[in-house]
Parts: sequence; structure tokens; C-alpha cells
Amino acid sequence: MSKQLLLGNDAIGLALVEQDCRVVTGYPGTPSSEILAGVIKYKQQHDRQIYTEWSTNEKVALEVALAATWVGLRAAVTMKQVGLNVASDPLFSAAYQGVKGGFLVIAADDPGLHSSQTEQDSRLLALTAKVPVFDPSSPEEARAMVGHALSLSERYALPVMLRPTTRICHALQSMALNGLEPQRSISKERFRKEPERWAATPKFRFYQKRELNQKLLEIEKEFDLSPLNYVVDADAAARVGVITSGAAFHTTRQVLEQLGVRLPVLKIGTPYPLPRTRVSAFMAGLDAVIVVEETDVCIELQMPASQTTVHGRRDGAIPGAGELTPDVLFAALKETLNRLGVPTQAPPEDALLAETVQALPLPMRRPRLCPGCGHRSAFFAMKRTFGPKAIYPGDIGCYTLGSNLRAVDTLVDMGASVSMAHGFYHANRITGDSRPVIATIGDSTFLHSGIVPLLNAVHTGARFVLVILDNHTTAMTGFQPTMANDRLADGSDAAHSVSLAGMARACGVKFVVEADPYQQESFGALLQQAYDFSQSEQGGVAVIVADHPCVLYDNSPILEHPVPVLITEECDGCRYCVEAFECPALSLAPDRSRVNIDYKICVNCGQCIDACFKGFIVPDYQKVIS
Amino acid sequence: METKIIICGLGGQGVVFLTRLLANTAIAAGHEVMVSETHGMSQRGGSVLSHLKINGNQAPLIQHGAADLLLALEVDEAARHLGYLRAGGTAFVDAERGLRPELDADIARLGLRVHCLPASKMAIALGAPTIANVILAGFAAAHPEMPLAYEALSHALEAGSGRHSDLNLAALEAGFRFSNQ
Repeated sequence: MSKQLLLGNDAIGLALVEQDCRVVTGYPGTPSSEILAGVIKYKQQHDRQIYTEWSTNEKVALEVALAATWVGLRAAVTMKQVGLNVASDPLFSAAYQGVKGGFLVIAADDPGLHSSQTEQDSRLLALTAKVPVFDPSSPEEARAMVGHALSLSERYALPVMLRPTTRICHALQSMALNGLEPQRSISKERFRKEPERWAATPKFRFYQKRELNQKLLEIEKEFDLSPLNYVVDADAAARVGVITSGAAFHTTRQVLEQLGVRLPVLKIGTPYPLPRTRVSAFMAGLDAVIVVEETDVCIELQMPASQTTVHGRRDGAIPGAGELTPDVLFAALKETLNRLGVPTQAPPEDALLAETVQALPLPMRRPRLCPGCGHRSAFFAMKRTFGPKAIYPGDIGCYTLGSNLRAVDTLVDMGASVSMAHGFYHANRITGDSRPVIATIGDSTFLHSGIVPLLNAVHTGARFVLVILDNHTTAMTGFQPTMANDRLADGSDAAHSVSLAGMARACGVKFVVEADPYQQESFGALLQQAYDFSQSEQGGVAVIVADHPCVLYDNSPILEHPVPVLITEECDGCRYCVEAFECPALSLAPDRSRVNIDYKICVNCGQCIDACFKGFIVPDYQKVIS
Repeated sequence: METKIIICGLGGQGVVFLTRLLANTAIAAGHEVMVSETHGMSQRGGSVLSHLKINGNQAPLIQHGAADLLLALEVDEAARHLGYLRAGGTAFVDAERGLRPELDADIARLGLRVHCLPASKMAIALGAPTIANVILAGFAAAHPEMPLAYEALSHALEAGSGRHSDLNLAALEAGFRFSNQ
């Protein structure tokens, strides 16, 4: 059978279908978002009975899937590494209580912070929660590990983690697709009451922890013999070896070849619990081993006592931050190997060319909000109304890029804009700081983690303005539906949609108004009104729902009312629009005499007309007429 | 034979589509393929970079100085990533006037071959500004350094692009013919 190109996340999604998971839940987050989409695609292709959902947040997603495993069904939950923080509460408990159907927790790490606020290692959180981990090195291995992991989960009755990284999730690999086996019979699966297990009180939790420790010892013995942990390039005469896992395994082999060095490499597929007997056997006879793993020190922390010296992140042999790209790993391994007396070749990169490129005045390309993005209009109106001195707590999503417009001053985690605004209000009262506090949060993020802090703020009498940037979808991660949409994860329109404004009112907010930020003048006036309310005698939190669909997801407002623009001859190149409005379609001419519009990417939103206070950006009436 | 290819451009230019076109063409020809893509925050308007290995190892990324080919949809991105090429490697670039002259000495010293065509301009002439990526693929296919043949790319386009098939094929042909002019 011919092979197909599969995205790593697609391969994991396919494996969940192949392995007969009946419930798969998740919350989108780069690099994990396409896994659930893969499940939905393959379940529809193969007409499988699988319940899928994008849940409100990761904690909810994990609990929904956990219930399915307690019924006896196989289940999985997907999230990114910081989502695992949100889901950690039920994860820790579930490890004690165990499962009946196989339960796979998929947490995707992001070495190099391509799209994340921290570079944390989910394997270490699993270690703390006492949950075994599978660490795939390629899309194909990730697909294979799903079956191993679910089988282990069922045999030992505990949750198991699959920990892919960005370079697995967003790699594409050619692989063979086989026919699917029929779904297993589930006629006997029912939730059976065992209160001492499913509703265990602290006394029983003690026994559960002892039982969990025992399971982990047995699993470590199983891992000692697992084919997922193996040696390549074995060499009895070698003095130095490498222990590695994940994508770093293949990168290490590529780099060793480039260095002209052949060393034995122990590939670890199951970094927790570390198969210590297997590792000890590999280290016997070696003077030194280098541990190469992402994202942090999971293997290195568990290394068995040995005469062999261990080099890695803890002694600085491997950099403590950032992705292990072939360039980074080449430099690190070269230095360490030379120090250990192993000669190596020079890097393939030409240093002179690198210097020339470094010196070129190439444009800085930072991520920016798209042309026509409604968030930009909302941020611009906020800045015009409240100025540079106001405090702008921000949140996680596309609109984090409001920092480019200097309309995002703080960024912590999902939902923190609301609680930080609340905290600033109370701290500022103590210090006598009267600056306005204007927070922004997206629709999906508000539903994920913004409601609970809003309740807190209302209850304790905080006074600030919260702008919910409602673009009708989870845009950053690929347009997954939110609770405010009538669309479900599988594309059907059977969802009961929740009103964002109604939710804010239900939290006790007395000022809640929905408005389109494209109407910049009235939106600015509304912001002022909201602020005035927040400061009035009966005031408190004021909420504005800035309602404008994502331009990539639903472009109909612009298609219905296009506003082509031109920049008049009078433009003096003052750069105000370029910096304050920051649309990718606006740029300063090379001679800096004026601003030009890049019509290849301009979407005719007309929003930049307000961005030139001198009136030099005007509607292009000829285009409007034609 | 192993071929390592870097594909670069800006968000929205179709780097991902071009990468997948090349990868699918290679698979149809019976080769093993490994690709690394850019998604998420880094995709919004910034530099977009793909690594494509045909019959190579499974490491996701290509080291600087090791790529055989560079396909660039923007001239400054070509310069930024030129260091990925090995000595004697080849670049195909969407550019009207060639790379920045500051690079000439290094290009000559390393024996790099740089082939340029005005793909964006040609795409506008075809009435589809976003199709420069397919024009660049056709252009590369006309050179012996490119391991994927024009006919194979054309088949992969037909299989994958559905309703835009005619436009894509016209773009591929325009790029292919340009180099023979």
C-alpha cells in the first residue's frame, strides 16, 4: 500500500481511533491542537462511534475523559504543556484512584517556546504526579506508542502520559495506513460503584498511594525489558556514550554523524519511571555519558548511582534553555566530546557567510495581528481613549500581539487579565495610584478561565474595565469552536451556545454592552462610558464585549462593506499609523518620505482611516464606485 | 538519494502548501519523507520556515550548512536562511533583481547557485497573487538540482488541489517555462 504524508498530530489522532478510544476531549493549544481534529477526521472517515469535544478548559477535559475510563471505555485527553498545569488537579488524584479503561493524557511540550509562555517539561509534572510517560521521537513512533501506552494503562489501571513535542506534533512523515480493526464490543462496560476507590477519603488515599508506588516499581521492571528502550551503534570499546529521548534522539544521531563520531546511544522511549537497570547496564564500562533530552532534566534527575560521570543540562554541557536544534546540539556535543578527549570535525556552517548575513539590514519580522483584525481596532480605540499611562492587563491568544500596540502590559496565563486587573485595583488603592485599569481577554480564554476571576472581582467591589474580544472562534490555534458558538467540535451545529454578555451579567456585572470595534468612534465613546461607570458611586467592573469576527474565519463584514483606501500625496511619512496602528499592510517607503499600502495583503477593511489623525488615509472612492 | 530542502517565506505566502506539494510528490515517487513546519503564534505575519528531507534520517531539522536546496518566496527571507545551504547548494528565489549584492562574495566562494524569477509578479499577471509558491516549484523543476520532476509535481497538484487545479497547473507551467526562455 502506498504511503501517505501524515502530520504528527494527525498520526496521534489516527492512533487513538485505531486503538479504539471511545471518548477524546481536549482544549486547543499549540502544538497539540490538531490531535483532536485528527480523531474527528478519522472517526468520520471510518464511521466510528467516538465521542469528541473541545471542553471549556483542560481540567474539565481531563475529568470528562476520566469518567469514561471509570465506565471502562478507553479515553484520551489532549492539551499543551501549560494546559497540563490547569489539568494537574484531577491528574494527581486520578493517579491515586486509577482507571478501568485505558487512559492516555497527551501533553505536548514546546521546546524553544515557539508559541508558549513557559518551556516546562510535562514529563517532570508526570513524575510528580506519579504517571508513567512515553516520549516519542517521530510521528510514526508517536502513533505506535499510543497502543503501548493504552495497554500499559489498562494492565496497571493507572493514567499514562504521551509527551510529544513541537517537532513531533508539527512534523510530517510518510507512513503506511492500514485498514482498521473493528471496534471492540462494549456490552459489559458499565460504571460500577466502588466508593472506597472512586470516592476515596484520606485514609483510603494512603493505601492508594502505596499501591501506586508498587505499580510504578513493576512498571519500571517492565520498561527495563521494553523494546522502546534500545541501544544503537553499540561498541564495547567505547569510553563515552549518549542517553537520549524524544526528537533529540534523531537529532543526536544526525549531529554525531556530522561530527564524524560513532558512539553508543541509548534511546529511551519511557523516561518515567526511568528503567534504571537498563541504564546501569548501558553505563557499565563507560567513563562518561552525555544525557540529551528535551525539555528539561527528567532522565538526568533519575540517573542510577554509578562510577560513570554524567554530563547534561545540570553541569551545563547541554544548554539549560531553548530547543535542541542540530546547530545548538552540534556546538554543545562538540565541546563536551572534545573535553572528554573525543576528536570531532568542524561544523558544516560557513562562518563568513553567517557573519555577512548577520550584518545585513534585514527587516525584523515579529508576529503581528492580521490586516483587518478587529482586535487591532479595539486596541487602537483603547489607546486613544485612555492613553499610554493606563494599565493594560492582557491575556493568552492572538490578542497577546496587542503588546505591539502597547495595549498589553501584563501576560501571565489563561484568564489572568481579569484577576490581575482586580489585583491592580486593590494594590493601586493602597499606593494611591489612580490610573485606569483596562483589561482584555478573548472569547475562548474568558470561557476557559475568565469567569471565576470575574466573580471574584465583582464580589469584592473592584473597579476596572474588561474588554472581551469576541472574534467568534479560537483563532490562534485553528478556529476551534468556543462555548459561545453553536458549532460542536465535529462541525455539527447541535451546540447550545452561551452568551458572553449574559455570562458577565450572571457574574453580577452591572455594566455590560456589546459593540463592534470597527465603529471606532462610538466604540471609543463606549469605553469612556464604561470607565465612568466603573468609577461612579454605584460602579464596579464594567464589561464591553467587542464583537467582530476573525477576518480569517469569517470575512463577511468586509465583503459586504469593503472600504478600499489610499494614502494621499500629502502624507509626510510621520510613521504614526505604522507604529500606533501596526497593520502589516502599512509600511514606510524606503526613502522614509511617506507611508505605502501593500495592496497584496490589504483586505479593504478601511480601519486605518482613523489611524491617520492628519486625514491623509482616505477612502478610495473610485474603487468604491467600481 | 538523500535531498535536504529548506523552504522559506512570510506568513500567508503559502510556504506550508509548497512544502506539502514537494513532500507529496516525493512520496508518490516512492521516497521516504520527513518535514518540519511552523504553526501557531510564529505563523502570524512572521518568517515561516519548513525543513524537508527526502530519503534522509528522521531528525526533524536540517543543520546550517547542510541543505542541498533552498526555495525562498521572499528575497530577504532567502538571505536570512542562505546559511542553511551546503557549499555547492542551490537556491530558487522569488526575486526580480537577485539577492543583495553584499552576499555575492560568499556565494562565489562557496559555489552556491542562485536562480531567481519574479514569481509574485507573474502570479499577479495570472490573476492569483497567492500562487507564486507553485510558480517557484515549476521553476525549480526545470533545473537538474531539483530531484522532483515537473510531471510528478503536476500529478501531485492535480491529486491535491481540487477546484483550483487549472490555475495551479498554469502556474506550475509558467514557472517551468520561465527558466527555458
